[in-house]
Amino acid sequence: MAKFRFIFYAIAFVLLSVGATAPASAQSGSSIPYFEIDTLHIPRIDVEGYGSLRLELKLVDATALTFSIIEAIAAEPGLTPGATFDLDSAILDIPLTQLAFDFYTLQLQLIPGDLFQVLLADATTVAGQDNYNSLCSSCHGVNGQGGAVAVSMVNCANCGDANALTSYINNVMPLGVPNSCIDTCASEVTEYILTVFQVDDSPMVAQSIAALISMPLDDTLRKASLQLVGRLPTDSEVALVASDGDDGLRTVLDGMMQEQSFYARLIEIFNDLIHTNRYLAANSRPEEAINLMRGFPDFRWFDPGDGVRDDEFQFNRVTTNDSVALEPLQLVNYVVKNDMPMPEILTADYFMVNGYSAKSYGVIDALNFNDEWDPQEWLPAQLPGIPHAGMMTSLMFLNRYPTSDTNVNRGRSRVVYDLFLDVDILALEGTRPDGEAVDISSPAPTMDNDDCVICHGLLDPVASSFQNWNERGQYRPNQPWYEDMFQAGFAGIDRPDSEEDTSLQWLSTQMQTDPRFDDAMVRIVYNGLTGREPLDPPSETGTEAEWDAFNAESVHLDELKAVYVADNQNLKSLIKEIILSPYWRAEALESDAFAVIHEETGAARLLSPEMLHRKIIALLGFEWRSPLNNYSVTIELDNQARLLDDSQFYNQIYGGIDSFVVTERLTEPNGLMVAVQERMANELACYAVANDFLYSTQDRVLFPYVEADTQPIGSTDQASIKTNIQYLHEHLLGEELAIDDLEVETTYQLFVDVLAASQASNEGNALPSSCRRTNDLLSGAPLQNVLVLDANYVIRAWMAVAAYLMSDYRFVYE
Amino acid sequence: MKRRTFLRTVTGLGMAGVLPMSLIRPAFGATAERFLITVSASGGWDPTSLIDPKGDAPRADGLGPVNNFSSSEIKTAGNLVYAPYSNIIQAPSIESAGHFDNFFAKHSNRLLVINGIDTQTNGHDSGRRFVWSGKLEQGYPSIAALAAAPYADQPMAFISNGGYDFTASLVAPVRTAGANTFSQLAYPNSMFPEDEELQPLSYFGSASYDLVQQAREQRLTRLRVAESLPKRQLQMDQLATVRNTEVELESLLAFLPEEVSEGLQGQAEVAVAAFASGLAVSANLNAGGFDTHGNHDADHTDSLTELLEGLDHLWEQIELQGLQDMVTVVVGSDFGRTPFYNDGDGKDHWNITSIMAMGAGITGNRVIGETDENFEALKLNPDTLEADSNGIIVTPQHVHRALRDFLGVQDDLDSLFPIGVEKLDLFS
Repeated sequence: MAKFRFIFYAIAFVLLSVGATAPASAQSGSSIPYFEIDTLHIPRIDVEGYGSLRLELKLVDATALTFSIIEAIAAEPGLTPGATFDLDSAILDIPLTQLAFDFYTLQLQLIPGDLFQVLLADATTVAGQDNYNSLCSSCHGVNGQGGAVAVSMVNCANCGDANALTSYINNVMPLGVPNSCIDTCASEVTEYILTVFQVDDSPMVAQSIAALISMPLDDTLRKASLQLVGRLPTDSEVALVASDGDDGLRTVLDGMMQEQSFYARLIEIFNDLIHTNRYLAANSRPEEAINLMRGFPDFRWFDPGDGVRDDEFQFNRVTTNDSVALEPLQLVNYVVKNDMPMPEILTADYFMVNGYSAKSYGVIDALNFNDEWDPQEWLPAQLPGIPHAGMMTSLMFLNRYPTSDTNVNRGRSRVVYDLFLDVDILALEGTRPDGEAVDISSPAPTMDNDDCVICHGLLDPVASSFQNWNERGQYRPNQPWYEDMFQAGFAGIDRPDSEEDTSLQWLSTQMQTDPRFDDAMVRIVYNGLTGREPLDPPSETGTEAEWDAFNAESVHLDELKAVYVADNQNLKSLIKEIILSPYWRAEALESDAFAVIHEETGAARLLSPEMLHRKIIALLGFEWRSPLNNYSVTIELDNQARLLDDSQFYNQIYGGIDSFVVTERLTEPNGLMVAVQERMANELACYAVANDFLYSTQDRVLFPYVEADTQPIGSTDQASIKTNIQYLHEHLLGEELAIDDLEVETTYQLFVDVLAASQASNEGNALPSSCRRTNDLLSGAPLQNVLVLDANYVIRAWMAVAAYLMSDYRFVYE
Repeated sequence: MKRRTFLRTVTGLGMAGVLPMSLIRPAFGATAERFLITVSASGGWDPTSLIDPKGDAPRADGLGPVNNFSSSEIKTAGNLVYAPYSNIIQAPSIESAGHFDNFFAKHSNRLLVINGIDTQTNGHDSGRRFVWSGKLEQGYPSIAALAAAPYADQPMAFISNGGYDFTASLVAPVRTAGANTFSQLAYPNSMFPEDEELQPLSYFGSASYDLVQQAREQRLTRLRVAESLPKRQLQMDQLATVRNTEVELESLLAFLPEEVSEGLQGQAEVAVAAFASGLAVSANLNAGGFDTHGNHDADHTDSLTELLEGLDHLWEQIELQGLQDMVTVVVGSDFGRTPFYNDGDGKDHWNITSIMAMGAGITGNRVIGETDENFEALKLNPDTLEADSNGIIVTPQHVHRALRDFLGVQDDLDSLFPIGVEKLDLFS
């Protein structure tokens, strides 16, 4: 008894001190009794004379190990008895009880006072548990939650049917070594997974999501519009959302996702992880991409030769280079634009060209462009004799992730797993050769040393599938391939010999049905729309709150993914569902009690330099360029956009990437970035304020309610000024404020104070020289009615208000 | 300079509950007394073409020579051994500071070379991570970030020019590309920041500007108080923290050349100026072009010349600012390159590499570690640091264990990201 008591003390201690709970799975559908906090739940027990009962026993004395019955109701139908009660001996016998991911055999004795006292508590295991822990848990986690390298076993795609899961384990799992768990092992592991890891929506998840207060739909529309297409919503879009609610927003988003600017944003989203834009001229040299095409005779079709090169040469050169560089990301655009299933980005038996790149590839004559000189017109094309496999055979992709005689495509394989299967090979358990730590003496340790096989069993079959593509991304079939590594295949299936020349096409067809591909798409889009990737499972020592945060988000993302999958893996559906989700729309919490769980929740982000650049255009009607008083000239110069250029201006300072040396965006501000914000606000205020007053009130974007000489004298003008401030808060910050809101009043006070301070310091009656308007900002045309004077300092006071608002948190974050 | 406690930064970054409290103490007081520059030869350099040359003797396995120069041509400078130029290319101008002869003649006395480091990988990402963090797996900060962590309240504590700059949220990396714009950022209210005479002409009068800044700060405080979403709370805290830190870019400008150079030399100028002005503690510099899978000898030589020119310029800047006793420079790369040529006259990835170090605390004119004729690492006696068949293979873990001890990385930080290998006295 002492032994049992000790064990139970340990259980009770764990339960009471850590607050450990059984997996949510045990709370619904399973017949296995389980502990939750200090309560023992028995889903079904058959007692003579009482029928099938659901019992809950609460610990009342941790010293005496006694429980009292707190609930006894009819058991749910369909459960099997998980305990027995012998009326003669008054012993409650529970052969299997679950505590977190451990199991115990329990016996309890009914004692006077209707209490149950523990007689026995022995640790035990269930069939399949040992094999799961030894063969599966290194990737899927002891708790089945998956991780960086494998999908969660909780409600997994293959978990709907025991036979299907058994078959999958028999034939495929563990990846690379499927023979290590077949027949009885496979069926027992299946039973274990289905018993322990399957959950319905737990109350915690529902409560967590219910704790989020979503922003109103009109705010959601504004945010989505700026994010996806870099503009404010139109009046008709606002009206549609107001009248049709969620459905209206879906309709509006569908429309936005037809716009060209959406596809520029989509390229950014995918490039943030794929990084093939490394070959754009702006990120490297004018012919960085073209230089990879030396096997194509016309690759420099645009060059008329020394001495006759002109501006047209320069334009064609850069446009061609960038067209070649953008090819893999244009495939994403093509697939999304045409509502194709996303696996098409891997299975496409074509690649994308416009008129410029088509000339370099020598396929222009085979295509029917409406305008071969329109760089925005993209068509699918094929190269004779080349077995295209979407992005994987893209020249840009293959060069961005090159191989070598010693790497033998393993780098490419790692990237394929990471980008298209959401599997981080480097996070796999295993040991790399470290001096004498691992035996690498065999001829092929990657094939016959278990430490190596863990990774190489996954890595090498995909690497071998690239065997026909050399280090320069050229197709070279029928070459000898390495025999000391796993041969081409995927997920335990060998590539048929008949497919040797088309290995990557075969691989792409295998990958398109892998549920991890959908996880990868969720990861990319979620990262793009929120600025962060979905939460990873916490470590084994993760807190309960961390687990709740992960569970709540992953269950929710699984629901969004299901909509995307059901809609023929249409990425637009995924984007819409994420934008409409309470996670993206999160604006506040119902209670601070959920603050830890929702530490990362919400789409608020420091705008990237590109997004901030577009927001400025959307709100002011012009770009932030240098210098703004020469806008009509600098608008033609790529390197004069303050937030886009990284050599003379602020793109990288403000956290941008060049997709090569710098591949991670800065998501937190630093001292230089704040200085950029300050200069931006000052410069834009200087140009935008005076410029806006040049237009008639109905054409103004900033000052529709005041004139350049409206002073805060008299109630009418004061009211006009406050109304305009109210408008500016909405226009620039997306804040809908009442006219008597503290923020309106505070901004008004700033206006009044600056006016007074300027007058007191006698700064002069003219605007600062850079802010004077003598020509039209956009066209550069001289103005007949120039705006130079600001005799009563009103324009300068408005400049201060504009600078204040354009450096606000709500302006630089979205 | 207005200095706040690291605790405020830590709180602002949401790390107060994660990091041990002792981390709020800067190691050397409020102002750093030691600076670190890491220089990454990005792409995987070839030590046999620089500081661990082999020559053109045929390999026994028939894979061809390691180098396209004779072993008899290999040169020395003091105790350092360096490569001659390949016989099949044109050597760079003898006028260049990056010409091997010039560089080693000038710097060998301050250079420490460690050869035969096994990176255990030939992947770029993992190689960079291992070489600059001491850990092959993900999650460890770069050594430059670690060195800056105790000074995270300084506005530019860690300057990153790309490459491996993971910080584990210990310090915010600052990127400085476009360094010629510093004057624009130093004087954000000036209409003509680059023109010394016109610089005082501003968008706003000083009284007005003070009102704007005051209103901005108060507004952020109001937003923060009203905010209930933790993520936005954190963002507002971060913004407030950075805004409350006075970025004295004006002082940086005083130490910058009138025209900041391009490439590695420009990175060096900004980093050293940031040290001299008390804004930064560490910087990682980046030089590209080393991933020479084709046309190795010519292309790699170009990259090495640029690298050495940059290092020479870096040292000149350090001396110019009188920081030679305070700045330590470590130069390394993702990994090495194969000790044979491929069909395209290139060299592929190879797991053995070298590093160089110079500057504060480094005893120069030394070479530690060896490789054999096929550029395989030889074992090292951990005590004598001499070749020893019963010794150990040096990995980036050993390098970082030694580097952390050498730099005086705080115990708390060290144990937060532990490196549990033998301690080799590589640097002192």
